[in-house]
Amino acid sequence: MATSILLGATALLLYLGAEAFSIAHLRQEKAWLGILARSLLTLGFLVHFGALEIGGRITHTVPYRDLPTSMSLFAWMVAGSYGILRLRHREGSTGPFLLPVAILFLAISLVTHPVQAPAPDPKLTGALFAFHVTLAILGYAAFTLSFVLAQLYLIQIHQIHRRKLGVLFSRLPALDVLSRMHHTSIGIGVVAMTVASTLGLLWAKQNWGTYWDPKVAVTFLLIAVYVFCLLAGRLLGWSGKRIAILSIAGYFLLLFSYTIVNLFITQEHVFR
Amino acid sequence: MSNPDESPLLLVGWDFRQTPVEVRERLAFTPEKIEAVVARMRQEGLLAECVIVSTCNRSEVYGVRGPAAVEGDPLLALARYISEFHGVPHHEIEGLGFRHMGADAVRHLFRVSAGLESLALGEHQILGQVREAFRFASSTGHTRTVLNRLFQKALEAGKRVRNETGLNSRPISIPGVAIELAQKIYEDLAPRRFLILGAGETSSIFYDLLVARGAKNIEVVNRTLEKAEALCQRAGKAYPWEELASRLPQADVVVSATSSTEPVITREDVRRAVAQRRGQPLFFLDLGIPRNVDPGVADLNNAFLYAVDDLQEIAERNRQERQREVGPAMDILEEELQDFLAWLGSLAVVPTITALRRKFETIREAEFDRSLEKLSSLTPADREKIRLMAQSLVRSLLRRPTEALKDEADPTRRLERAEAAQYLFDLDLDSKD
Repeated sequence: MATSILLGATALLLYLGAEAFSIAHLRQEKAWLGILARSLLTLGFLVHFGALEIGGRITHTVPYRDLPTSMSLFAWMVAGSYGILRLRHREGSTGPFLLPVAILFLAISLVTHPVQAPAPDPKLTGALFAFHVTLAILGYAAFTLSFVLAQLYLIQIHQIHRRKLGVLFSRLPALDVLSRMHHTSIGIGVVAMTVASTLGLLWAKQNWGTYWDPKVAVTFLLIAVYVFCLLAGRLLGWSGKRIAILSIAGYFLLLFSYTIVNLFITQEHVFR
Repeated sequence: MSNPDESPLLLVGWDFRQTPVEVRERLAFTPEKIEAVVARMRQEGLLAECVIVSTCNRSEVYGVRGPAAVEGDPLLALARYISEFHGVPHHEIEGLGFRHMGADAVRHLFRVSAGLESLALGEHQILGQVREAFRFASSTGHTRTVLNRLFQKALEAGKRVRNETGLNSRPISIPGVAIELAQKIYEDLAPRRFLILGAGETSSIFYDLLVARGAKNIEVVNRTLEKAEALCQRAGKAYPWEELASRLPQADVVVSATSSTEPVITREDVRRAVAQRRGQPLFFLDLGIPRNVDPGVADLNNAFLYAVDDLQEIAERNRQERQREVGPAMDILEEELQDFLAWLGSLAVVPTITALRRKFETIREAEFDRSLEKLSSLTPADREKIRLMAQSLVRSLLRRPTEALKDEADPTRRLERAEAAQYLFDLDLDSKD
């Protein structure tokens, strides 16, 4: 467990370094700053994987047994999703805004990490369950990135409308690039969450004997909102601004699902 | 090299600051003229090396003093030569332009390369023009050690300023600001559809700018169709004014520059167009005075409107931002300047000869001591004879190289010889041993 925590702390430092160089790169466009930020992020991502892998071997499962380890997995997925976005759209200036999510969750995970791994729950095992939880966390990570990107889109559109053309305006990507990045992250989230929910339903039928859980209804509503975000522009002619606002609203629904629904409405999705 | 009069570097020039355009036109150089005048100046020994930077804003002659420019004021002689070459009586340009020598000439070239001497502060086309001037001079054999190094350093300095300061990060011309804004809505402008309203001078400037940026889908709508067709000769398509409403929803960027006294695009026109665009933003650049596009368009979702006043204000703000970057840019140039001057200083003849003698004396003493250890049977008188012989040998060996360095009249050749001597004998000019 100590090795896992040590690697987690190393990954955190590497992410912090990547964040620092990303900010520096945003301020002054020197190629080497961008290269350093990318390298530290990649290294942090690999070391973080090592931490999760070792933790998983100790507990004999994917690291979602308790809240701290699931937060660490979430942080890793955020970093990975950002890496995919960066590769897909060749755009690094959003890094300073997206990486703090991974840093924050990994830091909380390390601070609250239990000294001893919790005893395994024999019910919560098997490939179906593991894929369900892992993909759901990937979905949350992608939606979190889309939440930040939607805000960046609104900031950029506000700057253009209000003629506030400062450093942030010149460094942030064009509206169409932000829109595409937003679209990609929602796409990843929708696919991951849909597959995760389907696997979850199958697992629930096998173990609970029923598909029904209030969480299921909220999750499908969440997926519906994000699917609408993907289609609203092309089918209904919605502006990027309206889609961004809807996406932010969708994220509040996600937070509602993650907190109120988990804690007060259903007892089946609580980390114990 | 500390005394500027000893410096081999000369510069005479005329730029937009001190010289009116009608005089600059008479002093401008074509490549043929450059080739002719430089070849003549080198043949007559006025300059040993020469690069001429000639643009619409400046004519500048950089040179290394030749053997014939030893006496008198070499800068005045050079200025007279250039004015006579162009057939401009020297008294007509007396007091115009500038003349620099040594470090001042180097500093001026570095400032030019960095865009600090440009009409539009920080513009970077000048770096390409300096590069082209140097390439031309070097390909015609008019540069050697000094100007090769000087211009390479100037290009490096210009590049550093561009990369390490914000001097060129934001546009300061209205078309530049307009393009930057459009690129913040659509990153890649080449595949976008542009609609230009009007076929006058402003429309023409934007048309050229868009074509230069690779835009393929350009449509021009004008009240006189023939004028629109004349504008679209290189790319794009002309439409009569009546088709404006049908073309509007197809466009991504609308540039409006008509002479109409009333708005030609209303809020309702844009609302309808945006509704048909399936969420794609529509960007308006209203360059008409009075305004061509209803200001209420700016409030519509997915429509962005910038008028000429907005663009001017942004351009002015960017100009002020650039002004703030001059200090950091000068720091970089001074650093590069000191680097170049240290190199140039290292090629001075006197320190080279001193270092050469020091090197030979060190070798002589070491060899003398080593040999005497083996010849212990020698008397002190014999030892003294051998020591004197060795000293004489060194003096004889150094006589010819010293003369070759000191007596060379051509400064560039003199510097080249000094450099060769430093390389061949591995001389350390800083050593005081």
